[in-house]
Amino acid sequence: MHEIKMNRKKDKGFESPRPFKLTHQVVCINNINFQRKSVIGFVELTIFPTVVNLNRIKLNSKQCRIYRVRVNDLEAPFIYNDPTLEVCHHESKQRNLNYFSSAYTAAVSAVDPDAGHGELVIKVPSELWKQGDEMNVLKVYIEFSLDQPKGGLHFVVPDVEGSMAERGAHVFSFGYQNSTRFWFPCVDSYSELCTWKLEFTVDASMVAVSCGDLVETVYTHDMRKKTFHYVLPIPTAASNISLSVGPFEILVDPYMHEVTHFCLPQLLPLLKHSMSYLHEIFEFYEEILTCRYPYSCFKTVFVDEAYVQVSSYASMSIFSTNLLHSALIIDQTPLTRQCLAQALAQQFFGCFISRMSWADEWVLKGISGYIYGLYLKKTFGVNQYRHWIKEELDKMVEYELKMGGVLLHPTFGGGKDKDNPTPHLHFSIKHPHTLSWKYYKMFQCKAHLVMRLIENRISMEFMLQVFNKLLSLASTASSQKYQSHMWSQMLVSTHSFLKSISNVSGKDIGPLIKQWVDQSAVVKFFGSFAFNRKRNVLELEIRQDYTSSGTQKYVGPIKVTVQELDGSFNHTLQIEENSLKHDIPCHSKSRRNKKKKIPLMNGEEVDMDLSAMDADSPLLWIRIDPDMSILRKVEFEQADFMWQYQLRYERDVVAQEESILALEKFPTPASRLALTDILEQDQCFYKVRQGACFCLAKIANSMMSTWTGPPAMKSLFTRMFCCKSCPNIVKTNTFISFQSYFLQKTMPVAMAQLRDIQNLCPKDVLNFILDLIKYNDNRKNKFSDNYYRAELIDALTNSLTPAISISNEVRTVDNLNGDVRLILEEITRSLNMEKLLPSYRNTITVSCLRAIRMLQKNGHIPSDPSLFKSYAEYGHFVDVRVAALEAVVDYTRVDRSSVELQWLLNMVQNDPAHYVRHKILSMLGKNPPFTKAAESPLCNEALVDQLWKLMNSGTSHDWRLRCDAVNLYYTLFGLTRPSCLPLPELGLVLNLKEKKAVLNPTIKPEQGPDTTEMTGNTMGVHIPVMGFTSSLDEGLITMETVSSVSMSSGVAPPPQGLKRKLDSVVGPLGSSPPEPGQVLQEEDSSKKFKIRFNTMEEDEIDMESPHDSQAFIHHHLNILERPSTPGKEPPAVDQAVLSLPVTPLPSSFSKESTSSSKHSGHHHHHHEHKKKKKKKHKHKHKHKHESKDKERDSHAFSNSPASGRSVRSPSMSD
Amino acid sequence: MADPAVMAGGFSAIVGRSGCGKATSSPAENYQLARRRTLQVVVSSLLTECGFESAEKATVESLTEMIQSCFNVDTLPGYAKRSQRMVITAPPVTNAPVIPKALIAGQKRTHPSHIPSHFPEFPDPHTYIKTPTFREPVSDYQVVREKAASQRRDVERALTRFMAKTGETQSLFKDDVTAFPLIAERPSSIPYLSALLPSELELQTLEETDSSEQDDQTDSENTPVNNLNDDPGADKENSVLPAGGMVPLVKVSEENMIDNPYLRPVKKPKVRRKK
Repeated sequence: MHEIKMNRKKDKGFESPRPFKLTHQVVCINNINFQRKSVIGFVELTIFPTVVNLNRIKLNSKQCRIYRVRVNDLEAPFIYNDPTLEVCHHESKQRNLNYFSSAYTAAVSAVDPDAGHGELVIKVPSELWKQGDEMNVLKVYIEFSLDQPKGGLHFVVPDVEGSMAERGAHVFSFGYQNSTRFWFPCVDSYSELCTWKLEFTVDASMVAVSCGDLVETVYTHDMRKKTFHYVLPIPTAASNISLSVGPFEILVDPYMHEVTHFCLPQLLPLLKHSMSYLHEIFEFYEEILTCRYPYSCFKTVFVDEAYVQVSSYASMSIFSTNLLHSALIIDQTPLTRQCLAQALAQQFFGCFISRMSWADEWVLKGISGYIYGLYLKKTFGVNQYRHWIKEELDKMVEYELKMGGVLLHPTFGGGKDKDNPTPHLHFSIKHPHTLSWKYYKMFQCKAHLVMRLIENRISMEFMLQVFNKLLSLASTASSQKYQSHMWSQMLVSTHSFLKSISNVSGKDIGPLIKQWVDQSAVVKFFGSFAFNRKRNVLELEIRQDYTSSGTQKYVGPIKVTVQELDGSFNHTLQIEENSLKHDIPCHSKSRRNKKKKIPLMNGEEVDMDLSAMDADSPLLWIRIDPDMSILRKVEFEQADFMWQYQLRYERDVVAQEESILALEKFPTPASRLALTDILEQDQCFYKVRQGACFCLAKIANSMMSTWTGPPAMKSLFTRMFCCKSCPNIVKTNTFISFQSYFLQKTMPVAMAQLRDIQNLCPKDVLNFILDLIKYNDNRKNKFSDNYYRAELIDALTNSLTPAISISNEVRTVDNLNGDVRLILEEITRSLNMEKLLPSYRNTITVSCLRAIRMLQKNGHIPSDPSLFKSYAEYGHFVDVRVAALEAVVDYTRVDRSSVELQWLLNMVQNDPAHYVRHKILSMLGKNPPFTKAAESPLCNEALVDQLWKLMNSGTSHDWRLRCDAVNLYYTLFGLTRPSCLPLPELGLVLNLKEKKAVLNPTIKPEQGPDTTEMTGNTMGVHIPVMGFTSSLDEGLITMETVSSVSMSSGVAPPPQGLKRKLDSVVGPLGSSPPEPGQVLQEEDSSKKFKIRFNTMEEDEIDMESPHDSQAFIHHHLNILERPSTPGKEPPAVDQAVLSLPVTPLPSSFSKESTSSSKHSGHHHHHHEHKKKKKKKHKHKHKHKHESKDKERDSHAFSNSPASGRSVRSPSMSD
Repeated sequence: MADPAVMAGGFSAIVGRSGCGKATSSPAENYQLARRRTLQVVVSSLLTECGFESAEKATVESLTEMIQSCFNVDTLPGYAKRSQRMVITAPPVTNAPVIPKALIAGQKRTHPSHIPSHFPEFPDPHTYIKTPTFREPVSDYQVVREKAASQRRDVERALTRFMAKTGETQSLFKDDVTAFPLIAERPSSIPYLSALLPSELELQTLEETDSSEQDDQTDSENTPVNNLNDDPGADKENSVLPAGGMVPLVKVSEENMIDNPYLRPVKKPKVRRKK
């Protein structure tokens, strides 16, 4: 039994979980067939055994067809077992997400390379291990092929005339976290480093780009193909190896000749422009890290249908081709540069320096994110940097408060109660592959924010020294030939990182790490104050909410900045257990000298109009934790004039943005004036001004009755952007000042949010926007106006209000409102013009689609998804597809359309683009057609089955997609059995062979007294439920559980009518609020969700003869396809047994446990029968008997349902 | 002896070169050049008189220099009337063909006193006198913009309607499919091309505004170049990137100068004998 050691290592060195060390790997792909989308090749791994008599080698491999395995030229038997292909084997009708999640985690653990496991187990021929003590190098040679891979490699083959190169066909590797096993057998762990030789034979018209140095390119004998030979002498994890092949255009970076860029045909001019900046990013990182880029070359490849925008691998990065842009484009430029900077930061931390275990991931993500932040600060300025930090902090805080904490450094105790450190989540965080994508995003976000906190604590200088130290240790290690443990210097662990910090800085950051790294959740402050005039003291009260989900208690220092008349003063307060109030003495006595200038924090002295302020108080504004040195949300109360002063005079953009947010609650003329002043100020950061636009629109709507003058922002816009001589006509576009450009784009969008007393967009605002569109003239502009025009369409969308409808009237052209007609006219014209002159990234089409959906939603035009469905089809630009899909998702929810939902789910399963599949599921999760809290006609058994199938087996090729499916399932049905499932026949598992029925243990009552289950158990009779439909809650629960344990094989399933009734009974049950008891119950069940997995060592299987794995895969696939019926197949028997440890029955009830053990006894009994028939099962079951006792106290692995069926060679199972 | 490259008779070549090379010099320089040119002509003709067929450029230069510096004005009349002098004929005065008097408008201005009378007459007054117009420039701009906007809109509308009429359409309304017709979307095999590449129209503006920002491939001979040798154990740490500030500035026309493994020629397969 292997135990995953995810704790922070107390000992310094790295302990490999494997009984061997990989030193070198050869990957050779001889043939890539674009027509068939197949790949043939072999790998050769050079390994050093670290134990005497190494007899099994476990490697990772998924979806590869393995033809033969040889160890030192001797044929070696192997087994291939991938429990993640199908997580729950039996066709169980439980559909319980808790059960699924634990089974999935068990399945991933079972093949986790970080624990020394793998899907592929090779038996070392006995000739090789009976040689005695001598440890010889073993060369493991594996021939494999991939046919139409669904994950790992993505083929893009456009359907046009010509050769593959002319068609722009290309292929590239992709995946979320360690996913290299999808395209060649390897040790797919970030901690197993080795040197590499990579060979790819491709069509002569193509280029193969891969990791390391291109040593030579050689024609094949027929001169029709070329072989690219790469050598990567720096020890690198398999997970950091990638490949892309295509007819790429090659651009050698003009500033750095070691850097080569690759793009698809015809895009070279864009590539030239987009990459013209890369060298500056290189220079920046090399300078701050005082370390050269660790690899001898760097390659960027831009591919179509990319999985993510940026993915970094050793010495190369793969980008989405959609990042490329010409010099005409403004908005995309900073985004592309940011992507480049992220990719490059990850080259240092993530590729060159790898991680020791998953628990150390936060260090790498943190450092790369942190240095990326430094780049942002240098390139885009401090304002942009602080804005970004605030944005990231807000995003993360919002997520944690909503979904529960994000834990950076999970520690998994050895099977104790703390097994699951995040019980609030519906997935396990034990593995990267079980995480929700959104969670992982927030994880990355938190990681870099915590790095910034560490910087605050130890200074940036020390921080950079630590990074430099990590890099120089790694680069020393990388140049060494293989020695044991030397290469592990290239792995970073939480422990080594923290040790480095304490060595370099001499500071103890223990409390900080404990608070933000070892613990999840954020801090929620509420602040308010009173000014005590007598004592001239500011009485500040800071309260905390640490009981809600996602919050934690904070104890420690907090900075408070008080701007007084005489200047700005920082105070460091100590947040302690019970002290809420803090007295802060004020410096300024009163307002004696009225004419004096007021000094600000930055030393600037300004004149202020002080008439608005309270005459008795010298306080202008107060800020709590202004430097964002706590991961927190602050809700602070101060008077409106204080927010206004803060907006006008505080120079920190974060403070300005905070005050804009606060001013929404103060719709007064003074707020209006403050916001207008900010809008007009050129020196003010443009994002603050953009924020002010929307705030102004909001307060204008609140002040509707008292508002005087033209609509908000109209005269301002006219003054800034319209012609002096004719104020109704906008100036011809120049966009030379980007600040004004962004303001010009935003203002109309914000103005369109204005409403009059009838809650309509004011007529003159609409006409104004229509005029902007009409007079828009870009002929003299050196920049494209596509984003501007798109935002003008967005402004039209924003101006829409619900149509006044006469009950259920059909929307026709004739009854179209006059304004809407004008809007529609613009939209159709713009959308049509896009067909003739498409805009960059089709931004205008995207906006038009959104506008049309909005017109439909507001009842102006008939609601109809067909237009969106056509735009969502494969073959449109991805942004357009996503926008169209978003509209279909929205339609599905609003119109409760099962047809569209099916259409979407069908696309999730079949669309060629992985990103689109992912996007559909995440949009469905964000805007769900229904939720667990509400009834919906869409919620039915078929849908449950479909989604279950999707996450159980349909998404095994893509970790991210599977987690998306899990997320959606959670959103729709919750953690426990979906309420729409019919109950009675689910209560038992029928085994026709044995003629027995047992309680299906995976049914878990949603809530309520646990005794009910017991009652049902002991009663063992099917109680008719017809008469109870309107009884009390308790009664309902009893009923549910009772029916779920109806007994004996003789009982026929209840009639359909009964099922219906039950549905309606269970419905409200699922939506009722949880009771206090439920928490306890959850904990209990989570404790019990430990799954034992029988590892290969334990099995004594015949592995002597070699065999063809292809057969197994086919066998396996057949099983996947075939809908298995309980009782027909042996797995049904397995199910009853295997799911036993997972029984979510609370142990607190002694009677309960006896009844369950009775059950288990029962199972074992009937396995005694089986034993005689199938000797092979003997061992496994015996093992289970032994483990039964251990389950309560020791962790280890329980018998996973995932392990229930492994694909074995015929020779092994017979 | 004499350099055949410079012919004495070919002084026009010299004149011609200096003439076109210094097209943009100041009046003072022009005067100096003209004077010098005249002297050169004089020297050249003197040499021809003396029987030289050709002269080296340097010789002509030094003789010109000599004449320029030790030129005695008093001896000039005598010298000018020497017997065997060569007469340079004045360039034939070509009278402009007499244009039939088509139209004469107004009174022509007479020459001021400092302009010799043989200079051409002033043109008709209307050609250099501004004519006042009576259109208001204030409204002009608005009208122009208005016109441009509606023209564009009309063109766009006509074009899209034509496309919609002649091709497949999609409709937003079920009752009247002809109202607000949308040109049917058509999936493309390579959708990113049209979405990313600027249109030709946009490219034109880009070229007009951006011709200075041409970024050619640059190179520096001193850039340390990767030595990608076949030995996998070779220390790659020594051959890394150029240091931070070292941005190569020297432009090299040949891209082949860059040693990048992807630009190297593909090797021919080795003829190997299989065991």
